[in-house]
Amino acid sequence: MVNAKVLLTTTFVASTVFAQGPAPAPIAPPSAGGATPGAADVSVKQRPTLTSEEMLNQSREYNKNMNDVLKRIQVLQDQAKREKDIIRLNCVTDKVVQVRVNISIAEQSVAALQEAVTRADEGERTHEFTRLTIVNQKVQVLGAEAENCIGEDLSFVGATKVDVEIDPNIPQYDPTQPPAPGIDIERPGEASPLTG
Amino acid sequence: MNRRLALWTAFAATLIARAALAQEVTIGYQGLPYKMSGETATGIQVAEGVLLHVGAGAEAGYDSNVFYDNTNAVSSPMIRTSLFGEMTNATRTAPATRLTFDLRDGVTYRRYQSDNADVQNFSNAWMPTAGLALSTGGGQFGFAIADTFARIEDAPYTQGTRVPINRYNNQASVEGRWAPGGGRLTATLRYTNMVDIFQDSYQYASADYNYLMLDAAWKWLPKTAVFVNAQQGYVFYLNDAEAAANNKQSSYPLLVTAGLRGLLTEKTSAILQLGYQNGFYAGGQSTGGFLGSTYAELSFSVRPTMLSRIVAGYRHDFTNAVIAAFSYNETVYASYVQQIAGRLALDLSGRYVHRNYGGAFVDPSQADRSDDFIQGGATLDYFVRNWVYFGVAYSVLSNSSNIASVEYLKQQTFVRLGLTY
Repeated sequence: MVNAKVLLTTTFVASTVFAQGPAPAPIAPPSAGGATPGAADVSVKQRPTLTSEEMLNQSREYNKNMNDVLKRIQVLQDQAKREKDIIRLNCVTDKVVQVRVNISIAEQSVAALQEAVTRADEGERTHEFTRLTIVNQKVQVLGAEAENCIGEDLSFVGATKVDVEIDPNIPQYDPTQPPAPGIDIERPGEASPLTG
Repeated sequence: MNRRLALWTAFAATLIARAALAQEVTIGYQGLPYKMSGETATGIQVAEGVLLHVGAGAEAGYDSNVFYDNTNAVSSPMIRTSLFGEMTNATRTAPATRLTFDLRDGVTYRRYQSDNADVQNFSNAWMPTAGLALSTGGGQFGFAIADTFARIEDAPYTQGTRVPINRYNNQASVEGRWAPGGGRLTATLRYTNMVDIFQDSYQYASADYNYLMLDAAWKWLPKTAVFVNAQQGYVFYLNDAEAAANNKQSSYPLLVTAGLRGLLTEKTSAILQLGYQNGFYAGGQSTGGFLGSTYAELSFSVRPTMLSRIVAGYRHDFTNAVIAAFSYNETVYASYVQQIAGRLALDLSGRYVHRNYGGAFVDPSQADRSDDFIQGGATLDYFVRNWVYFGVAYSVLSNSSNIASVEYLKQQTFVRLGLTY
């Protein structure tokens, strides 16, 4: 009896295990040399083929682009100040602050990149360049958002304007005022038949 | 102020127009129109914010009774021409906001075209007018001054007399207004002076009139107010000896009234006032009694349409008189103005005055004189353009009295043509 139970249990477990099919292959870690043939490539392209010199040149290009964006947003900020468009000014100022923070990060990355190149630290170099690329993209997005900041002309209804319609029958002058000064004069009466 | 100046121009032109003070309309014959009713496009811009209006007109007609005679009326054709100019900083559509000035000048020439020798003595008359009005304010405080001058010349009552009735009249006023808060309460203090100078026959009546007025009004609606008005006058004659010889005496007329001014409905305005009056004549014979001490006025102005206006009113008062110390007056007046098709302007008006003369009489034989005076006027003008018009006009003056010799009926008819810009 006991043997029958053991046999039955073993058969059930074995059928369950074999019903699962073969086990999947383990996910390969990202490879700097490219995707393994036959596996999906889900890594971010980081142009690992760039040389150190190319990375430094590209980082300078990023830095210039980001500063251009900052200048453009500052122009928009001045324009909003002149127009006294407080809503647009708030929006643009917010973008300026964010861009400045990102540029500061980018400057740190450039410095770190230069050090990594000096040390021939490929991992650090790649990391800083990647960070710089992301920051640059973020600054470009902020620049586009600043261009799209809208002001009073679209979102502000303007100063309160009251239109008063007065019945045209109502006199424009003030009838409550005392009559204008004036003493009636008229032809004097005839004082007597002999009076002139 | 402007309406008053216009009134003076009309007055000088016609000699007979009289204002119904309540509604500030001219009753009787209307002189040549100052400008087309409702016209706002005329005027020459002579400087920044300063407009110059000019005009000229001529009337040709017939006078049925040159000498206001009751038995032997002498009629005559007549012509009358007028020139005027006005400079103002009021814009074409509204008065200037802070400081307003208005300067006017004009002259009227009247000529009787008659072969009658008596008429020819008075065939030519030149009657200049001038006016100045300046006002500032609109806020809590306001200030205004005004002055109008007119020379009036008309044929005398008696044929054969060689001297016309010449009169020089100058009225000046200065006033200050105070409207604290939102303007619900308004106080006006005004001094008015009139110098009225006659030449020749009536020179004993040349006088200086001085009035100090204080008016306090409370607007219980935006254009309706209850008010209290007090006015103290001082009238004295300029030629003491002649005045004394003709029983003319100084007076200190007092008028205190209270009532309502302003709109009753959006189309109807009214003046209702009742008060106390007293001439306080120096000679002792002054106004008195219950009716004689009562001032009453009831006046309505209705605008049935945008192009028409009806005014009707009644007034009981007393006025200083030339031929006696004063007269009690019962006055009924009415006016109808209609614009037709934007081109035709019709004006009909008239008044009836019952005058009871009192006090010392210049001619004692006229004691207890009582007159019934009727005045009517009708004009119809067609504006070919907003600056050129022609029209017809009619005027009637009638006086009935318990003294037959002072009765008369005078009618005038005219055709007229003018330019105004």
